Amino acid sequence: MPTIPRRRLLKALSSGAGAFALARLAGPLRLARAASQTAKGAVEHVPAFTGPGANPYWSAVGSVVTYPQKYPLILLTDRPVQLETPRHFFLSPFTPNGAFYVRWHLEGIPSTVDLAEWRLEVSGNVRTPLKFSLPELLSRFHHTSFAAVNQCSGNSRSYFQPRVPGGQWGNGAMGNAQWTGVRLAEVLQAAGVKPGSVQVQFQGLDQGPGAEGLGSHSFLKSLDLSNPVLDECLLAWEMNGEPLPLLNGFPLRVVVPGYFATYWVKSLASIRVLEKPDENFWMKAAYRIPDTPRGTTSPEAVKAGSVKTVPIGRMPVRSFIITPEPDEKVPAGLPNTLQGIAFSGYGRVSKVEVSSDDGRSWAAARLGEDLGAYSFRTWEFAWTPGRRGMHTLAVRATDEKGNVQPEDGVWNPGGYLWNRIERQKITVGAAQ
Amino acid sequence: MKRFSGQSWATAALIFSAATLLLAQSERGDYTQRNLGALAQPAARRAQTDDAKYSIGSYPLYWPEFPEGEGKSLVTSYCNACHSPRYILMQPPLSREQWAAEVTKMVKTYGSEIPEADQTVILNYLTAHYTPETRKM
Repeated sequence: MPTIPRRRLLKALSSGAGAFALARLAGPLRLARAASQTAKGAVEHVPAFTGPGANPYWSAVGSVVTYPQKYPLILLTDRPVQLETPRHFFLSPFTPNGAFYVRWHLEGIPSTVDLAEWRLEVSGNVRTPLKFSLPELLSRFHHTSFAAVNQCSGNSRSYFQPRVPGGQWGNGAMGNAQWTGVRLAEVLQAAGVKPGSVQVQFQGLDQGPGAEGLGSHSFLKSLDLSNPVLDECLLAWEMNGEPLPLLNGFPLRVVVPGYFATYWVKSLASIRVLEKPDENFWMKAAYRIPDTPRGTTSPEAVKAGSVKTVPIGRMPVRSFIITPEPDEKVPAGLPNTLQGIAFSGYGRVSKVEVSSDDGRSWAAARLGEDLGAYSFRTWEFAWTPGRRGMHTLAVRATDEKGNVQPEDGVWNPGGYLWNRIERQKITVGAAQ
Repeated sequence: MKRFSGQSWATAALIFSAATLLLAQSERGDYTQRNLGALAQPAARRAQTDDAKYSIGSYPLYWPEFPEGEGKSLVTSYCNACHSPRYILMQPPLSREQWAAEVTKMVKTYGSEIPEADQTVILNYLTAHYTPETRKM
């Protein structure tokens, strides 16, 4: 039998002419099966990729896979591991550990951690270099717990136009958890930061095959010692009341509330106090945003070399519609509840508004419990559609600093800081 | 070759000593080939010991299909040194110029040792199968 590319075969199955062509190739038995499939509506597979247009889906396209300690998640890459959280997990304010997205940079990610050997080392420009086992860390410092959103810098990169290379995340490279740990500031104080120090650098157990000094060897991230966020940072061993899953940074990870996840170093092993600004690849070349309003620029400006960049920092305000999903149909005149989440790296979400007419008019949604300044805040909106047809829903959030989600998307070569107003079409049918 | 400044050497030495120290603390980079859609249900149980080692075994690898063509084996072998070639499939269709920038980044920034002639073959393969005009799978 001649071979037909799978994609073309699927296409052929959805049309009568195709089925006829197939009959000539495959004989009557195959035709019968094909026809019965066609009668029920051909199965539409999620494509293997999206582009050059924007990803039309809420999530990344990819197979659903199961990893140790994780629920089935969407596979972006397998080595190193990058997994996206499916949409429905965002109905609750806390993202279960098993559902929490995964993003590693170097292929040598830990699969075994030996706590008999593991130590947190505090070194560099300090008066007293220190080493802590996990029990030592837990017994020496106060425990603190708060909720904070962890969002990948490249979350929603697949909606950029024109598209940019990098992890093609949908919206699910984010999660919210209750983190428990000790304050970074207390640990630094115990070591005694010496005068002349400028930054604090974090390194985890992961390692790549590249040569030393290259970004392919070590993943290193640093924060300025003058940054007030250091007083809020945690070194957390607990996530939603349980130890961290290995893929999310067991036994200890940095929590930088309000900041993108690139600074939340996983499987933390080393903290170094630096006398000079960190110039390693992951600070100097990667995870940088244009030094412009909203971090937006153009491919032309990048090509002209005129774009000054700064390290990425806080997360702009965002909100999402989680339910209903776009393939649902609701009856006109009957009450519905739209649900979703909102958050901002700049402080509490103060307002969420919903539009059912594509953004022409807005009404306030009811906010769920306030779980802290850096947590997901759930919202609900009672909606009774008045007329049949296609409706475009939209949601926008405002934070306590007055930041509000804009209509337009951003563009930058890294694919960072996406936060425009989310829209979703929904079909309203006749009620009788 | 670029010369390291004194400070870079000091940093490198620091990183190296830290790296040596890190080696004993964990096992890493353990992957095993699996088939997509063939999940064991229920998953096989791992025998756990009551020492201080916390292990989740090796990570699954899902080797993807690549179109036949000149350069296929160069692409899968060179790229696979640092990451699974699935990274290519995850990308949206990219222009030849964008793919060239990716190849250059792997060589110049990440230190992949791909001879120049092979870089061209790799770029040609990526252009033949993964641009907006050519991408099929």
